[in-house]
Amino acid sequence: MVELNSNTDVLVIGAGIAGIEASLMLSKADRNVHLIEKTSYTGGSSIKYEEVFSNMECSTCMVAPIQQEIIQDKNINLLTLTEVESIKGSLGNFNVRIHKKARYVDMDNCIGCNACFDPCPVSINNEFEEGLSKRKAIYVPCAGALPNVPMIDTKNCLRFNGKECSACKEACMFEAIDYSQKDEKTDIKVGSIIVATGFDLMDTKKLQEYGYGKIDDVYTSMEFERLYASNGPTEGKIILKNGKTPKSVAIIHCVGRKEKGYCSSVCCMYSLKFIHYLKSKISNINISELYTDFCIPGKSHQKFYEKMKKNQVNMIRASDIEVKKQNNDINVNFNIETGEKKNILVDMVILTPAIEPRNTSIKLSKTLGISIDEYGFFKENSSDTSSVISSKPGIFIVGCAQGAKNIQDSVSQATAAVGKILSL
Amino acid sequence: MERKIGVYLCECGPNISEKVDLDRVKKEISSIDDVAVVEKFKLLCSADGKKYLEEQIKNHNLTHLVIAACSPKEHEITFMEVCENADLNPYLFQLANIREQCAWITADKEEATKKAIRIVKAAVGRVKYHSSLEKKEIESIPDVLVIGGGIAGIEASLQLASSKRKVFLVEKTSELGGLIKNFEKTFGDMKSATELIDNKIQNINTNENIKVLTNCEVGEVIGFFGNFEIKIKTTTGENEPIEFNVGAIVVATGSQLFNPEKTPQFGYSKLDNVFTSLEFEKMNLTKNITLKNGKTPTSVAFIHCVGREEKGYCSGICCLYSLKYASYLKEKLPKVKIINLYSDLCIPGKKDEKFFNEVKSKNVDFIRSSDVEVEKNKNQLKINFKNKEGKKNSILVDMVVLAPAIEPTIDAVKIAEITGISQDKEGFFAEEHEKLNPISTSTEGIYIAGCAQGPKNISETIIQSEAAAGKILSSLIPGKKIKPEVKTSVISESLCIGCKTCLTVCSYGAITFDETKKISVVNEVICRGCGNCVAACPSGAASIKHFKFNQIYQELLEAVK
Repeated sequence: MVELNSNTDVLVIGAGIAGIEASLMLSKADRNVHLIEKTSYTGGSSIKYEEVFSNMECSTCMVAPIQQEIIQDKNINLLTLTEVESIKGSLGNFNVRIHKKARYVDMDNCIGCNACFDPCPVSINNEFEEGLSKRKAIYVPCAGALPNVPMIDTKNCLRFNGKECSACKEACMFEAIDYSQKDEKTDIKVGSIIVATGFDLMDTKKLQEYGYGKIDDVYTSMEFERLYASNGPTEGKIILKNGKTPKSVAIIHCVGRKEKGYCSSVCCMYSLKFIHYLKSKISNINISELYTDFCIPGKSHQKFYEKMKKNQVNMIRASDIEVKKQNNDINVNFNIETGEKKNILVDMVILTPAIEPRNTSIKLSKTLGISIDEYGFFKENSSDTSSVISSKPGIFIVGCAQGAKNIQDSVSQATAAVGKILSL
Repeated sequence: MERKIGVYLCECGPNISEKVDLDRVKKEISSIDDVAVVEKFKLLCSADGKKYLEEQIKNHNLTHLVIAACSPKEHEITFMEVCENADLNPYLFQLANIREQCAWITADKEEATKKAIRIVKAAVGRVKYHSSLEKKEIESIPDVLVIGGGIAGIEASLQLASSKRKVFLVEKTSELGGLIKNFEKTFGDMKSATELIDNKIQNINTNENIKVLTNCEVGEVIGFFGNFEIKIKTTTGENEPIEFNVGAIVVATGSQLFNPEKTPQFGYSKLDNVFTSLEFEKMNLTKNITLKNGKTPTSVAFIHCVGREEKGYCSGICCLYSLKYASYLKEKLPKVKIINLYSDLCIPGKKDEKFFNEVKSKNVDFIRSSDVEVEKNKNQLKINFKNKEGKKNSILVDMVVLAPAIEPTIDAVKIAEITGISQDKEGFFAEEHEKLNPISTSTEGIYIAGCAQGPKNISETIIQSEAAAGKILSSLIPGKKIKPEVKTSVISESLCIGCKTCLTVCSYGAITFDETKKISVVNEVICRGCGNCVAACPSGAASIKHFKFNQIYQELLEAVK
């Protein structure tokens, strides 16, 4: 019998909550981990939320300690702005070529003082804040982002677009700005891979009936999360585009569910969370939840539903929803269960768009050679009972990259994938 | 011994130095008793800075170190390592945060400087009262006890055994398999459940690393993570108890159905042909879906959410297994009329809606209803309900199948008592953290998997079992010693009045009562240093290492003086 030496190192793709948890556990078991993250920061979607259901814990407070841990952990090689370019080999012996984009800020020299932001003359929409606020060409996505080191966005930086500017470099006292940094391609050798690339929200502009993008004050749930966040564009003030405080809000469930063909499983719960968000800031606000079925499985969720319902919320089972502008109001038209047509006038609408795989997941599936299912999520191996096993031995799929799920279930899957790897 | 405190002020480039007059801070601090040296440095966390600090500690023979710089979140670990490298106990060091809590948030330089002086003085005041703390290491046993021989326990055992761990799998009944043994198929993919479980049982039986103990239950668990002493007794009580030691425990005791007799409106146990979902599974498995009179039913109603209101939660799987039952029936009795009386459809997975649409397209009726009641009507059953418009309605069927809520098994209370883990209000075992740690309990080394933690489907159960195995494989490694928390609680023997208040507030079961001395005793291996007992102790006997009364008092005193 021939036994091949297999590599015990692990590549984790995606530094959201699932990737972070998996990396920390692997490190605890003395494994070397390469944790790569496409963006410049860790924490993924979870750091966009002010609070999480159903215990309403502060999300950044929950995630920040483990974000800090991965930065300090000596077994974890955290590489931000990094993606997989190609992969060779098989279980036990993968050779992965990674592409690390230049940050143009030295991670060792930068101390995160932010002195470089002010002098930067560029101002553009901040993607992290869903475009609700501006950022500079040298920036961190939000206050408290980790690693607390800015990056230069070369698409918008004057210097990288043929103009003379070195305002950030002049402002930096630590010689941390390095315009000469280059993108790097390196090969790393690992024995197994965990894919934890997370989710996107469905593009709601495609669903014209909801008026998103055309009517002011129709928000997606992620935009609303940022609007409520104390480190967000309004520092947590829930305000309309005209600066006024909303008096009435309609939260519309199941946006894009029919088109997608699945229930995203978290929208009912976070819509209930939004009741808490709204009532805690604007106590007399009128809230209507337009839902199809309340999907609140699990031992603690119904209690949360009942607690939120006590806030005198209009729970309306609705279908055929259409959102229109009417003078200064937003007119939400819908059918109730009897088929009867109804409408409500509100001044803010929050949509809960379906959770879909990252727009890069098809490309990644091809790069890694793993299958995706009819919905675009990474597909579990049907001959195995474990949902974290992909179609390719040695590659594991966890969190929302495998299917829409909440944080608890994402963490469970990440932990399970580690279990699988440690018993390979 | 003479105290020689070294105080180092970090300029953090301009971050601190521009806002705080560090020369003034240096002057003020230099005059404090026991302060041997005060210096400022450009950037202490840099490689140069760390080297400088190491040399300073050695050259000045420092006994204590204070660094005034950034938040402990940033660099406490960095500077503790510096101490270790310089042979100074890292607990004789204090980090004063004059960046985030001072320079960055104070506009006026005069005010910031005064504030920085107070912060550094407080740190110096505190560090004088620090004592060296030693990191402990204890041996551990890599073997594992798994309680419950259902799918959750089986999966955890297989996962652990494939990593060459010795597993003791304890099952109270005479055979492995749990509830799934009653199922023909699993919902969604409609694959054979019997095959699934039989294969796994076979793998268990042929695995030499797994010792299966059927007809057995756990009698006693003492000890802590890495070293649990287990006593197993047979359910018949005939044989001698079996004793062994393990390092970790997986509790996978599963679930049972809510007893529908508690909701008499559904007629269960009073009316013929009203069955529970599990009874229906069994009828289906034996290919014997018949009425009490031996005839085949022509119409079957599935009533969802039985006991949901009483239990206060949605069990998450009843909608889906009711769909599975409809598939069973359509296959075996194609002409049978099927009606689902449901409240809210809960089909959260990525493949579940497709499954729902497939089943629905086979002429299966779904009626949204409330206030459902079942009564006898000649040879049939009459179901009265309110429809979605709130109007009263009724249907006649031959058979009613109830979907009762999933609840923890009856012996969860006993297991909780024996293992010391806690249950939540619903009786399920409570996880350490709802989001970040649904597999661990408040007792380190004891993990929960499957429906014992909360209602879930087979796929989710398997994930939790694999996760529990993952937790164990990553924290309990053969040959590797366990490093318990250093900053633990201590209860003074002379001050303890034996009131036992601390026992009621300890979340980790770290405190026991010494009946002969009549005092509380902390097990330092289990204690995680949360401080609950310190706050609750009425006699001042409990204290926490590194957060002792005089340490905090001196720090406060200097800060407010």
